[in-house]
Amino acid sequence: MNRFSFVLRRPIQLIPVLLGISVITFLLLQMTPGDPVRLMLGPKASQEAIEFVRARYGLDQPVPVQYFYYVMNCLRGDFGQSIAFRGPVSGVIVARIAPTVFLILYGLVISLLLTFALAVTAARQRGRWIDHLIRLLCVAGVGVPSYFVGLLLIMGFCLRLKIFPVSGYGPTFANNLWHLFLPALTIGIGVTPILARNLRATFIQQMDKDYAVACRSRGLPESYIFSRHVFWNSLLPTVNLLGVVVAFLIGGTVVVENVFNIPGLGNLLIRGVLTHDQFVVQAVALLLAVGVVISNFAVDILTAILDPRVKL
Amino acid sequence: MDRRVFLKSAALAGFSIATLPATWLRANADGSKVLRMAYGAEVLTLDPIKTTYGADILIQGMMYARLLHANADRTEVGPGLAESWDIADDGKTYTFHLREAKFSDGSPITAEDVAFSWNRMRFQKDSAYAAPFQPLTKIEAKDAKTVVMTLDRKFTPFLTLTEIWNTGIVPKAAVEKMGDDAFAKAPVTSGPFKFVELKPGDRVVLARNEHYYREGEPKIDGVEFRYVPDDNTRVSMLQAGELDVCLGVPAPRMAELKAAGFRADPEASSTTYDMLINHSAEPFNDLKFRQAVSYGIDRAAINAAVTLGLGAPASSIMSPALDYFDKSLPVIARDVEKAKALLAESGKTGASFELIQNAGSADEEKAAVLIQAQLAEVGITVNIAKIDSTQAWTRLADGEYQAEMNWWYNETRDPDNALRWCVWGAGDNKSYYTRYNNETVNKLIDEASGEADNAKRAELYAQIQKTVVDEVAQVALYHPTWLNAYAPNVKGLILNVGLQFSSIGGTSLD
Repeated sequence: MNRFSFVLRRPIQLIPVLLGISVITFLLLQMTPGDPVRLMLGPKASQEAIEFVRARYGLDQPVPVQYFYYVMNCLRGDFGQSIAFRGPVSGVIVARIAPTVFLILYGLVISLLLTFALAVTAARQRGRWIDHLIRLLCVAGVGVPSYFVGLLLIMGFCLRLKIFPVSGYGPTFANNLWHLFLPALTIGIGVTPILARNLRATFIQQMDKDYAVACRSRGLPESYIFSRHVFWNSLLPTVNLLGVVVAFLIGGTVVVENVFNIPGLGNLLIRGVLTHDQFVVQAVALLLAVGVVISNFAVDILTAILDPRVKL
Repeated sequence: MDRRVFLKSAALAGFSIATLPATWLRANADGSKVLRMAYGAEVLTLDPIKTTYGADILIQGMMYARLLHANADRTEVGPGLAESWDIADDGKTYTFHLREAKFSDGSPITAEDVAFSWNRMRFQKDSAYAAPFQPLTKIEAKDAKTVVMTLDRKFTPFLTLTEIWNTGIVPKAAVEKMGDDAFAKAPVTSGPFKFVELKPGDRVVLARNEHYYREGEPKIDGVEFRYVPDDNTRVSMLQAGELDVCLGVPAPRMAELKAAGFRADPEASSTTYDMLINHSAEPFNDLKFRQAVSYGIDRAAINAAVTLGLGAPASSIMSPALDYFDKSLPVIARDVEKAKALLAESGKTGASFELIQNAGSADEEKAAVLIQAQLAEVGITVNIAKIDSTQAWTRLADGEYQAEMNWWYNETRDPDNALRWCVWGAGDNKSYYTRYNNETVNKLIDEASGEADNAKRAELYAQIQKTVVDEVAQVALYHPTWLNAYAPNVKGLILNVGLQFSSIGGTSLD
């Protein structure tokens, strides 16, 4: 199959995925007891006001009827009304998508920079103290929860050194690079150990391959062999792993956004679940699913570009 | 440029931008005197009649002027938009005379606007908190500057109710033109601040209302009200200089903030933390059992554990910050032998009950675990159920519970509202969903609200407090204080007992 038809086929595969997610989230939220309207109007609201608002949002209808209207509305581009924000879900989400996307991409860039730096150093210095140190850091890094890393960074860089802000999302690109550096670094510290260990192992594996030995026997310097051959041949497994890691990153932002108070989708999702804000949870779940599918799709394309033997 | 050089330069450039000194960017960010505060709950609507939610109440208090206003510490109400008022001899008709004042868009505030705002609050179907205004039957504009309100009975607390947040005056023309939903997102205001921006999930930005009726107020340029759900993040932001006011400081961090030079003193609150009990279900439908539970609990220990002594153990269900609080009532001391005897009398030896606790609240968890341990010694098994607040509220309202950790606060210093909320069985919420219903107490509450003589009112409220404590209408545990911390340059700002910054107009930032 050629690449063109692959690109066309992927969005079609997305349809059953989204439908499945919508049914599951819808049913899960229906099965969870609790009335979102009561929580939103507050404990002192009258029964009459609660009934009135429930009817306005169609929450007094039978579940299948609610789901039918939900799907039909989604097809028209209307993802429902947020009970908490008393407005269209699409507006609530659009307001929060930028910080999350920025954070994920920033986190990814920092992770990749750290990953390459650590893996190259460890592989080139195999068996020496620096290699052992990096491997030790990687083991430790995998075990430390990101909220703890976040709090440590806040204590060190915000309260002691006062270099970075504790929270927020700024109005400009440069301002965001500054505001989101620590959250992105927290994310980076979370995923780098996984990527770096994998990449280091692949480097070492490739350095022992016949082609590398052949290069060495011809008297080529080690740095030349590494940068011209070993490096590029090692990227493929890490790119594949990256697909999995991006899905992990999307989930991981939920915690990091909370610690650093970033007004993003992760924060919105937690809030939505706690307050049973049904349409918000459904829309965010669908969006995150689309994010994961798109990242896998990008990895597939990247793999094909890096390795001509791979057929899509 | 080869690849290696390019990569090195890119990494260096990225790092340099990211680590630009904080001061450089901060200096560019803002030179004005904007009060930055953060709270753990989010602002959801800016329409005063559509909410009973803490964050909304706090921000709306700064946005809308009311007929009367409390003084800073809310000991009494005085003129607000109403310059003066007359009460008819029968105590049923209130006539308010308005001053010259303008909305934030420069249009005049007329009696028509006041009548519109009040009618909306009292009679619109989705008005969330019309309950305290039940005696009010008619609101009309007599002329451009006079509003007449008619009650169906004599009701002494009425004047204090005219300063609750949901009586904030909104412009009739703007609401009718924009519609409720659009108005709630970008309102025209009548209070010290005008609306600038609402970023859902992040912050509300207010600026000084140049048309505000009080000369020289507000003294600051604006308010930035941020939503920061994590308690420790909020405190860190204050310490890092990103906030001027941190609302809701965890009790263990107050001393640390005070030592660091912040103003961090507990402020009086009208809040009571309690264990709500369902009087219509086993085992709390039995008076002896309720009393056994009440005597089995160590309120002083719970207060010490949760508020670290910054609150007070409860003797009454009413907070000491409310008028007519009965100081003579003693805090019930724990008496395990007496509790055991009462339990035996009730015939419920070996009884157990489920205690619902909000899954997200560390304070409730502490109190619930202590209650569990204390009642175990009496011989009562407590099964703690941690559930989310949406579910908890629904079970409470539907009466599908035995006991629940909860709290409530009162908007005014007058106790009528508080007691009608929590022990008046004739109300819509069935005594805060406890189903406690004592005809005598109901009558006494009605009688006290119609009484104008202070001494007589005090007597009636003392009687009510004693009765509900004796009958264990709720198990009142402790009265917390508001725990907030202010940067040293914030002058004149206090949070009053009813969760309002009434002094915000005179607050300055040095």
